[in-house]
Amino acid sequence: MKIFAQGFRGMMPITVGIVPFGAVMGTVCADAQLSLFQSVGMNVFVFAGAAQLAAIELMSKNAESAVVLATGLIINLRFLLYSAALSPVVQNSSPLVKATSAYLLTDQTYAVMSAHQDRFQTNAQLVKFYFGAATCMALAWHLAVIAGYTFGSFAPKSFALDYAVPLSFVTLVVPTLKNRTYVYVMILSFVLAIFLRSLPLNLGLVVTALIALAVGIYLSKPQANPDGLGGSA
Amino acid sequence: MIEANYFWINIFLLAVSAFGIRFSVIAVSKKLTITDRHKEIFTFIPAAILPAMTSQMVFFHQGQVGGLFGKERLVILLLAGVVCYFTRNLLATVGFGLVALYLLTQL
Repeated sequence: MKIFAQGFRGMMPITVGIVPFGAVMGTVCADAQLSLFQSVGMNVFVFAGAAQLAAIELMSKNAESAVVLATGLIINLRFLLYSAALSPVVQNSSPLVKATSAYLLTDQTYAVMSAHQDRFQTNAQLVKFYFGAATCMALAWHLAVIAGYTFGSFAPKSFALDYAVPLSFVTLVVPTLKNRTYVYVMILSFVLAIFLRSLPLNLGLVVTALIALAVGIYLSKPQANPDGLGGSA
Repeated sequence: MIEANYFWINIFLLAVSAFGIRFSVIAVSKKLTITDRHKEIFTFIPAAILPAMTSQMVFFHQGQVGGLFGKERLVILLLAGVVCYFTRNLLATVGFGLVALYLLTQL
């Protein structure tokens, strides 16, 4: 329980960025004339903010279901990387833990877990930390969506609370930068996404992530033995 | 107005696909051999994804500060990165960014 609470507390500062995003989602749902039941239902079942925003926009234009699905799939493709990254942590867990951890997988929960990973000696401890962080994330998200739906934009526009979303992403990335290679990957990802934004089917984000990751793999590859002998002494 | 059946069909498809992607590798994780090198590679994922999402949010936002070509959000974000690096404090970073943006745009 103590580790779960640590995870919960670890996520709490990040909610500064989650709440405005959730409020925007709630406001968009209300503007699209969805009922509160539909709004909450979508958030509970899909639980993927960016894909949901795109889906509402498409559904408001009566887009084909295949288009809505394809757009959601592409935006969510990054979860494939997170799924791979989380797999060693839950490898020996029960199917229920695996399924629940998959359902709760978000950018924020993975980044918070990744930043604190070195503090724990076993995967079981890390999973508890992850669930604590994910519970905090889910609570903040759902409550913010309901508040956004009910009260609309609850802060004056001059406060620009939506800006807390990218700022919170900065706070998620910086603790994961372990050396210069990570910094190079971050800079490349930041710049490349601007140039690739106009790629069709919203593929810019996924292509950027894959290229940045490939560069990270290349730059961090183990150095060859200078003597060319192989093996260890 | 989004028709109810159309809405729920799409939500069902999205929910299944979102969970499917998230669960995909985890589901077969027991059969995978995950080396330390794989684990090292996974640690690059936040640095590969999150900056891309962030830059698209701020770079294409048209601001109102002429002296910064309307890119005040981009400039403040870079400064917030420096604040975060030195303070390692999440609230200080977000607080700095929001206050700086308010001061730049409202005063």
